[in-house]
Amino acid sequence: MFSLTSPVKSPYHNVPPGPKFFLLMVASITLFLIGNIYLQAAALAFVLGLYLLPGGTFFKEGLRMLWPLWPFVGIVFLWHAFTHDILPGLIIILRMISAVALANLVTMTSQLDEVIALVTRLITPFRRFGLRPQILALSIAMFIRFLPVLIEKGGLLVQSWRSRSTRPAGWRVVVPLALLALDDADTVAEALRARGGIEPDKI
Amino acid sequence: MGQLISNNGRVSIQGVSLVKSGHAILNEITLDLSTPRIGFVGRNGSGKSTLARVVCGLIKPDQGRVLVDDIDIFKNRRKALSKIGILFQNPDHQIIFPTVLEEMSFGLTQQGYSKDAVRQMVAEALAQFGKAAWSNRSISTLSQGQRHLVCLMSVLAMQPAVIVLDEPFTGLDRPITRQLTQILEDIDQTILHISHDLEALCTYDRVIWLERGTVQMDGAPQAVLPAYSAAMDAIGGQDVFADITG
Amino acid sequence: MEKNIVIIALFAALIAALGLVPKFTLASGIPITAQSMGIMLCGTVLGSRRGAKAVLLFLLLVAIGLPLLAGGRGGLGVFGTPWAGFLFGFPFAAFAAGLIMERWRSDNIPLVAGCAAAGGGIGALYLIAVPYYMMATSSGLDQALFTAMLPFMPGDILKAILAGYITAGLAKARPDSLLSRA
Repeated sequence: MFSLTSPVKSPYHNVPPGPKFFLLMVASITLFLIGNIYLQAAALAFVLGLYLLPGGTFFKEGLRMLWPLWPFVGIVFLWHAFTHDILPGLIIILRMISAVALANLVTMTSQLDEVIALVTRLITPFRRFGLRPQILALSIAMFIRFLPVLIEKGGLLVQSWRSRSTRPAGWRVVVPLALLALDDADTVAEALRARGGIEPDKI
Repeated sequence: MGQLISNNGRVSIQGVSLVKSGHAILNEITLDLSTPRIGFVGRNGSGKSTLARVVCGLIKPDQGRVLVDDIDIFKNRRKALSKIGILFQNPDHQIIFPTVLEEMSFGLTQQGYSKDAVRQMVAEALAQFGKAAWSNRSISTLSQGQRHLVCLMSVLAMQPAVIVLDEPFTGLDRPITRQLTQILEDIDQTILHISHDLEALCTYDRVIWLERGTVQMDGAPQAVLPAYSAAMDAIGGQDVFADITG
Repeated sequence: MEKNIVIIALFAALIAALGLVPKFTLASGIPITAQSMGIMLCGTVLGSRRGAKAVLLFLLLVAIGLPLLAGGRGGLGVFGTPWAGFLFGFPFAAFAAGLIMERWRSDNIPLVAGCAAAGGGIGALYLIAVPYYMMATSSGLDQALFTAMLPFMPGDILKAILAGYITAGLAKARPDSLLSRA
């Protein structure tokens, strides 16, 4: 399972995810408190500068990750153009791009296992609610293991559909896919129990 | 199926190539398939399953085309449905609907037949196999072998000229395999059968050995099967768990 | 206990798979993703608590950087738009859908599941997503409704109906598959 971590090395890759995440929180809150368009534009320029630092390839990758924002930009622009109220619209758009770009930067420069370790540490206060680090780790592992399997089986069902219909495969194939997921769950639960199971916490 | 005329279709694979992630999965395959029974052998990863899907119009080749009775099965999906059908390995990855009737009706409805005609055709197909009682049965009450039969009946009901079998008997026990094989022996359609079961192919008209996306050998089963078998035995003597290079 | 953890993980994977299976769309030609329908299904099939947990797991995995949202999107960035209220609302949507499914004990599964899917996936979801949008953009209700509700409503109504059919299909194919009705 590949993650969105960038293969292009940057100085940010060496910073542990905890501080980056904290800085992101602070920066995001700051962005939301700024109502001045020039400050927002400066903030965006700064963020883009952060992307330029590791080089052109990294910058282009960052832009590609921002591309899916275009419909959102479009909708906001449409509304504000319609109400002849462009300025607040521009502020929203600039703020959104800066916030998303900063968040993407953290994602692009953090290794998956580091982030999982961080999350595991963060949830330790929730132990009393039944959320144990081992369970989380197991859940993540199972997810990563079975996602490709489900995608493959879904693909086969879609092929079965397309071999008998010119229409694109629709909701009908979700039923057998969900059944396969339930069957896989049974099998895996059995395997887990056979290997000792998950012991309930003694609190 | 009540057909008096032989439904023997002709498949023309013309220069088909397919590249995925830099690897050539299929390498300029050109085959003219017109005999009723044709077998395909080859190691896993040789491109057999991909070729099966290209031949059915499910995957678009990067180069080349496939004609079944002069219909381009990728460009003309509508006509293709009536020309070629496919049976996959695992019925649980193939059956979409919860009852036998719905599953068998699906393809026919998509071909454009009226509700009454579909009901009639499904009833006829079930009767032909002596399974009229199965009509309203839930798929989950059927055994693996029975599910294979449902898939087969669903494909046959559409009366294609060619049927592709992608290792459809994997995991079935011998008696059921024999029964399903017997059923297939009697049908009129051209069969393209991908199989690891060499015994099943020895009465076929032609066997094609696919290796890394190209045709390694092509001819009578008496010639191809022993050669293939010997080659597989030789490989078995080596480390088969090493990564396949190239 | 193992069964719970496993089924939650697998349904989280199912939500992801709905957006990632090739050549699968809900309606021909229209780029409506099936993922928010997956959220509704978590509720109607797994029930309120398991459903919500499956969605939370899914969101966590998106947040840590897996490209699970339709189009291969993911990471913290997706939580940075004013529409992130939808993401935050997903677990509540699944919970509400599951709750309706559990409490409304009619045997008319397509109807109950469809209403549950709508109640959760539209009702509960927009109750969170729209105010979030207003807060994030300091805008009024009219703007929020235009930009955060209008584009998605038709698709979501369709998805709720389909989720009803799918849930009913599951119940028909295998009655004990509906853990919300166990």
